[in-house]
Amino acid sequence: MPTCTGCSCLCPDIVIKDSKVFNACRKGSSIFRHCREKRAEPMISGKKVDFGRALEKASEIISSSEKLAIYGLDTIPLEAQGVAIKLAERKKAYIDDNSSFCLGDFVEMILKGILPTTTLDEVRSNAYVIFYWGTDPYNSLSRHLSLYTYYPRAGKRQRGYEEDRYLVVVDVRKSHTAKLAKKNAKFIKVDSDEDLIEGFISTMDGKAGKYYEETGRIIKKMQRGKFNVIFGGLGLKYGLNGNYEKFVEMVKRMNELTQVYFIPAGFHANMRGFNELMFEKTGFVNRYSFEFRKSAPKYEFSELVRSDSIDVALIIGSDPVNSLPFDVVQKLRKKRLVLIDPKFSLTSKIAEVVIPSAITGIDQGGTMVRSDGVKMKIDPLWEAEWNDESILKELLEEVR
Amino acid sequence: MPITPMEVYKLLPKTNCKKCGEQTCMSFAFKLINREKKLEDCTPLFEEKKYAGQLEDLKRLLQPLEEATETGLIVDEELCSGCGNCVVVCPVHASEDPKGMGSGFGPTIDDPILRIEDGVVKVVEMMKCRRYGKNRILCVACRENCPSDAIRFLEG
Ligand code: SF4
Ligand code: SF4
Ligand code: SF4
Ligand code: SF4
Repeated sequence: MPTCTGCSCLCPDIVIKDSKVFNACRKGSSIFRHCREKRAEPMISGKKVDFGRALEKASEIISSSEKLAIYGLDTIPLEAQGVAIKLAERKKAYIDDNSSFCLGDFVEMILKGILPTTTLDEVRSNAYVIFYWGTDPYNSLSRHLSLYTYYPRAGKRQRGYEEDRYLVVVDVRKSHTAKLAKKNAKFIKVDSDEDLIEGFISTMDGKAGKYYEETGRIIKKMQRGKFNVIFGGLGLKYGLNGNYEKFVEMVKRMNELTQVYFIPAGFHANMRGFNELMFEKTGFVNRYSFEFRKSAPKYEFSELVRSDSIDVALIIGSDPVNSLPFDVVQKLRKKRLVLIDPKFSLTSKIAEVVIPSAITGIDQGGTMVRSDGVKMKIDPLWEAEWNDESILKELLEEVR
Repeated sequence: MPITPMEVYKLLPKTNCKKCGEQTCMSFAFKLINREKKLEDCTPLFEEKKYAGQLEDLKRLLQPLEEATETGLIVDEELCSGCGNCVVVCPVHASEDPKGMGSGFGPTIDDPILRIEDGVVKVVEMMKCRRYGKNRILCVACRENCPSDAIRFLEG
């Protein structure tokens, strides 16, 4: 069955029949429906060339680079990410993906064993209290609740959401997901995530802190449920502003009373895959310099561009002109850019070289890592002549 | 907003003439909304000129009835993100397809009530909905769990 790579849910039950796409959400179905449109073509300086010429030019530019950054990488399979990391190592380059400003911190804490975690399949069969903290999956991870968490009737949770699940939504505003917190559920509107964290800790200390009514009831529910899970999103990350200690302490304390796991809510299809490969190789998950053999905030791709620390950027499966801040884009225009991407994009308009690649799950297969760390084998619908892995392997061969 | 019998009643002739086969205009209003009667059944509305304005208003008010399925379920595809909540919560789906829709996945049966097609919800087999037929009940599970109000029912 086709798998959707629209986000890190990697929904495995997509059906394509009579040129219709079934079961995928709006975002996911559009990948399948528009897969043949706006496909990139090999280009040098805005002119169409043949594929071999584009590849040759790309390896020339990368070979001549003194300070290379490799960036993007979250939508391509593990196999191709692995080759990109090798290329970065060979060139003593910087390498970074979106996770630096997305949920890379949470993935890192999980890989280091600081936060206990579980899988979405376990959540489906067992979870009782389900937190969505600082995330509104409705728009970006549309099927998260229906496929994996709150709505399925499975395993020990056969009686459905009204009796067998308890939903907690924590957010600064009443999001789409918060609207679902009705019966047997709680929406907590917070001004400061830290206050709520302290509220939970106070309750566990037997003191009445902030939000004591909510936290008291939820802790009781969690003890009853025995298996509970927190999905943390960008709101939680930015709310805590890098100070995760209190949050980690809260989760630890909760685990003295009952079982609570943490899973990052979600992100680009294979962001976690990149983080895991990097962690295995370097002990860090992102914004890494193979020259200085360490990770630092100043090696975040945007910062490298801002500080003019690079001369060439190899961008893979990403459209930074569309996603990065304006000042970064202005500077990026002045760098030599090599883009490997399956689609025409704003970045393809300014790149010196464009190498067209394939779309995972459409015309290239491979392995991707779901938001919970489970490896998913993804079959293509058909095979493109060139894919991210073969393009990167070719570059790795050619580049000095 | 659902249409209420009172709104409909206010625009009827309110003479209780029984020409529609109902005892009162109010009960006719109820049956109109449940689609057991048609507006045309109230002949005075069409025959007497003085009701012409009311007739136009009624037609406008009842417009959504034309768009709705026979269970009174209306979906607004523009608002739908294809999240699948409605498909998975539906109690009929859960009992007929426990391993598929009941467990969160796409349908493994050919005739679900709702399914996600090209990224948005489509009504496939409305006859199976619990709101339909003689023993109908007022199920609202799909609407209650739609985050974007893409599902409505005529009678509320
Ligand atoms: S939730 Fe994500 S993986 Fe699933 S269909 Fe939607 S975009 Fe694709
Ligand atoms: S025919 Fe029209 S006016 Fe007469 S009872 Fe029925 S609804 Fe009322
Ligand atoms: S009203 Fe109830 S039975 Fe009918 S489609 Fe919605 S959830 Fe299913
Ligand atoms: S619950 Fe609402 S938004 Fe989600 S698929 Fe159903 S109609 Fe669409």
